[in-house]
Amino acid sequence: MSTHGHSDKFVYHEPGLQHQFSDMEQQEESVSIGMWMFLAQEIMFFGGLFTAYLVFRSKYPMAFAAGSNHLDAFWGGLNTIVLIVSSLTMALTVYYAQKGNRNLQMLFIVLTMIFGATFLGVKAIEYNDKFHHGLVPIAGLNKRERGTAGAEQHPEGKPCWEVAEHGSEHEYVNPKGEFEWADCSLAKMAQDEGYLTTAEKTGYFANGELDGNKFRDKVRIFYYLYFVMTGLHALHMIIGLGLMAWLLWTAYRGYYNADYYMPVEMSGLYWHFVDIVWIFLFPLLYLLGRHFTHGGH
Amino acid sequence: MNAQDAVLETGYNSGIPPVNYLNIKTTLASWLLTKDHKRIAIMYLISVSVFFMIGGLFAATIRLELLTPASDLLETGTYNKVFTEHGIMMIFFFLIPSIPAVLGNFLIPIMIGAKDLALPRINLLSLYIYWTAGALALYGLMVGGVDTGWTFYTPYSTTFSNTYVMIVGLAIFINGFSSILTGLNFIVTIHTMRAPGMTWFRLPLFVWAHYAVSLVMILGTPVVAITVLLVAIERVSRVGIFDPSIGGDPILFQHLFWFYSHPAVYIMVLPGMGVVSELISNFSRKKIFGYEFIAFSSIAIAVFGFLVWGHHLFVSGQSPYAGMVFSFLTMVVAVPSAIKMFNWTATLYKGSVSFDTPMLYGLGFMGLFLIGGLTGLFLGSMGLDVHLTDTYFVVAHFHYVMVGGQVIAYLGGIHYWWPKMTGRMYSEFWGKISAMLVFVGFNLTFFPQFLLGYMGMPRRYAAYPPEFQVLNIFSTAGASVLGIGMLMPVIYLLHSLKFGKPAGDNPWMLPGLEWRTTSPPPLENFATPPVVTWEAYEFGEGSGLDLEEARRRAAAPATL
Amino acid sequence: MQTTNWVPLFPEQASTFAWQVDALYFYLVAVSIAFSIPIVLAIFVFGMKYREREKYVSGAEIHGSMVLETTWSIIPFIVSMTIFLGGAIVFFNQMTPPDDAMTVYVVGKQWMWKMQHETGQREINELHVPVNRTIKLTMTTEDVIHDFGLPEFRTKADVVPGRYTYLWFNATKPGKYHLFCQEYCGLNHSGMGGWVYVMEQRDYDNWLSGNASGQTPVEMGKDLFENKLGCASCHAGGPQQRGAKLEGVYGTTVKLTGGGTVLADDNYIRNSILNPASQVVEGYQPIMPTFKGQVTEEQLNALVAYVKSLTPGAATTSAAPASAAPSAASNTMGGNSASGGANSMTPPKADRGKRDAPGSNPNTPSNSNTR
Repeated sequence: MSTHGHSDKFVYHEPGLQHQFSDMEQQEESVSIGMWMFLAQEIMFFGGLFTAYLVFRSKYPMAFAAGSNHLDAFWGGLNTIVLIVSSLTMALTVYYAQKGNRNLQMLFIVLTMIFGATFLGVKAIEYNDKFHHGLVPIAGLNKRERGTAGAEQHPEGKPCWEVAEHGSEHEYVNPKGEFEWADCSLAKMAQDEGYLTTAEKTGYFANGELDGNKFRDKVRIFYYLYFVMTGLHALHMIIGLGLMAWLLWTAYRGYYNADYYMPVEMSGLYWHFVDIVWIFLFPLLYLLGRHFTHGGH
Repeated sequence: MNAQDAVLETGYNSGIPPVNYLNIKTTLASWLLTKDHKRIAIMYLISVSVFFMIGGLFAATIRLELLTPASDLLETGTYNKVFTEHGIMMIFFFLIPSIPAVLGNFLIPIMIGAKDLALPRINLLSLYIYWTAGALALYGLMVGGVDTGWTFYTPYSTTFSNTYVMIVGLAIFINGFSSILTGLNFIVTIHTMRAPGMTWFRLPLFVWAHYAVSLVMILGTPVVAITVLLVAIERVSRVGIFDPSIGGDPILFQHLFWFYSHPAVYIMVLPGMGVVSELISNFSRKKIFGYEFIAFSSIAIAVFGFLVWGHHLFVSGQSPYAGMVFSFLTMVVAVPSAIKMFNWTATLYKGSVSFDTPMLYGLGFMGLFLIGGLTGLFLGSMGLDVHLTDTYFVVAHFHYVMVGGQVIAYLGGIHYWWPKMTGRMYSEFWGKISAMLVFVGFNLTFFPQFLLGYMGMPRRYAAYPPEFQVLNIFSTAGASVLGIGMLMPVIYLLHSLKFGKPAGDNPWMLPGLEWRTTSPPPLENFATPPVVTWEAYEFGEGSGLDLEEARRRAAAPATL
Repeated sequence: MQTTNWVPLFPEQASTFAWQVDALYFYLVAVSIAFSIPIVLAIFVFGMKYREREKYVSGAEIHGSMVLETTWSIIPFIVSMTIFLGGAIVFFNQMTPPDDAMTVYVVGKQWMWKMQHETGQREINELHVPVNRTIKLTMTTEDVIHDFGLPEFRTKADVVPGRYTYLWFNATKPGKYHLFCQEYCGLNHSGMGGWVYVMEQRDYDNWLSGNASGQTPVEMGKDLFENKLGCASCHAGGPQQRGAKLEGVYGTTVKLTGGGTVLADDNYIRNSILNPASQVVEGYQPIMPTFKGQVTEEQLNALVAYVKSLTPGAATTSAAPASAAPSAASNTMGGNSASGGANSMTPPKADRGKRDAPGSNPNTPSNSNTR
């Protein structure tokens, strides 16, 4: 062992072994614990958002149901399948890295990336749909549409529970690009059938009447959480794609074999984590409305 | 004869080794791009000291303003910014990183017999993130500052404040990741990098404390990160979940904020307790009493610390039944701290106690944390908390635990390991003087505030009713003494870098692993990687220290 | 009442549960001393007795003691449970008002407190209550979180936007007690205080009927001018005269700095109090502070009446744009907040604290002067 300075030519290092470790086993154990700790903190990070979701959903379930109904479970479901399959390809990447099969490794990394990109593409489609329907919660960030002369935004005198959902009866008019939500029928239904929550009994009402604007504010909270949660998730996905790109490059350079494939496995852990977060997001955001409009309370 | 005289000789493991981690390479790049945990610790030391001074200047301003009942030194709006920024600088940029990032970074690998932390580049990244966050926060302060209080309660912070909430909030968000990465690194290191023979129950309690702290850092910090991020988003976009005028819930913010910020105080104090365990044990030359109890109580505090956040919300409109649960758990979390206090005291029994500067700080911690911790019980008791919350009683309580606790422990640790980190001894005379000044000044500053609080003086007040003035004057007088006591170490420690006597490997002849290598240590910490065959705090025959030789050296006349 | 000559250590006990809070406090102080003294004593004694006599001699080989550890885990735990129980019981008392409570509605806003009694009386930053009656406060805020703090009653509660919070007390001694805002709320947080006046039932009834001490508006105005608002310090003549002379000014034409003139009528006086910088009298400095937010409509009327009375012969004209003298159950203060009904406390649009404005007084009449 060298006793002076730090000179690689005197000490045999296995390829990939960092200088602070005495052997590969120590390095792998360290890296593994490190990644699991990182994922633990990521869970707490998303956890704050899930808590907020929990609080507001229990306070305003009808507004959340209404918001959720507009989300297209088709795209959401497609994304779920895409991610699950991408987890499969990721697992296969790790497998082939372990086997030292460079070509198959690279193939499956590329496939994983394709599925990841598909996920992001679908998200783009969904976000675009929100943009076009005035569902982006931040004022000014929706499509501005002046509307033809004489067109009303909402038919005069119609109470908010008789306004059909979005756009089927009247054209989209949104000159300032604000968040728009006119249909409070779910609140009316809950009121009629007697299962409004305590918060809802005051939160949706003004002067004793169902108030479309107040209901809209609560729906806006749903969309705010939708965008923040899926946005944060998409950000993690983008980082994951970057990670995959690096992995592809290093796989191409032939770094990985049966003795050394830890980076692939760790990247796999990250990818699976991003997948699992989506598995929680999907039902909470997309399937909620169905629960309420099909007899659930 | 004190420790300083003992090193006045040549020959026996004396002096500063010609090649050590400080001088092995001296270019700027070798520091800024280093992977060496010791250099990273030194850079943290300089950085946290800078933030401490800035926070201290704000504190001085507060105390000067509070000399008179009227808001006359500063405009009220400025005062509001000053106390906010004092809190932010001190909590996020000094108290949370200080002991872990400076002393933890430096010592943990050495104490466990490793060459470095498990993830050195992550360590460097942690430092870079800290610098980025600090720069952003300072920028925010310079362009106008923030006046929400360090607690950022909504809807004031999201909607009403006209200050730079977003910039400073983002700085805090970024800083959180520095903390998380440090904690992550420590957990991995303590699990996987221990030298052969270094079992869990041979670890110094300093290491146990940092393990517990790292758990809190990893699990708690992300929650405040997302909360501050949400506040920033809400501020910019005018949409969100905290402002009731758009449907949000301001008490949700308080829950999310305190879910981290209560464990945060344990992030601050647990490492301090770890330092104190080292100080009490080593300067009594006796194994700490109840080693396992102290180790497990650190873990218990970390775990239970996550369950008590609601004691900050007793008068917020939170359900009284929830309040009762939190109050009960708050009482429970006090017990492990009490256990430690008793164990430290019992360590002194039949010890061989010397009163070097680090020990003075250690004993000071015990006295001050005793008061701070007990007054925590006052606040955890709901009926009393209704009267005392948001008064100066709370201010006094948290300064007792954070300054009287953490800062004193930090200073004790700096003084204790200064010879190891720099190879030099400081002036023991000035060390003792400033330790005593800090202790006296601190009590004079903050004890009157307990009385003010019970009288009802609210916190965060620029102007107050005249009947509170006398106690405020005492408090400011004490602050000036405290300030002097805190400035003195800066001077004599810096002085020692050039003029201090070389310390030698083991200036106090202690058994810890960190004392078995040179001062300063070589780049990879040990000339030959150690194999540990002795128990923690082994002072007796098994320590392998040549105490006779050391006594002979100490008794011999000084030769230069 | 507070004495201010010596270092105060203890607030008065002015409510029925104050003694409980103090008892809990003293119990905790006793517990603290009981734990601290042995520990501090032990530190000193052990430190002295076992100080290092010969260099580097080790201490005794004592590793621990299960008995001691168990003892000093269990005893603190039991003690802390008694503290918890005591605290919970007192808290429960503080949170549960007896049934016969008299309700007062409180709205906090940056940076003042507005109270309304069930009988319609409104107050700003002051709360008059009868002694020995259970008072329950139903509170909310128009903007940010504040806290209604009453140290001498040993209670406080946050006021939260969007919902109601509650506080109760039963005052035991007549007197004047501090009200503090105890949750940081922005610029004038430290100025957002006031007083609770606890009065004998008879005096309280008197006050309710609008005649706080049998004063006429002129007498009330004089009291405000000379004592409560400090006007006399600048306007009362003598060497400190920094403010315009008010004797004989009513009804005359006043010359302003910058050239214009204005008739000194009721509006002029009112405007001088609420917005003095807008019409400074020629020859004087623009140093008069505004009293916007610090005077109620009733007080403004009284001040106008008083200043009028300084001009002989002017007193009988009642051209005040404000409504008539206050009567027991009517809404004397209008403004844009809810109608007098006890339950409609829907807050008006919040005054989102502009940087330099200390908060608006909703009691100023609108410009169109519709009353």
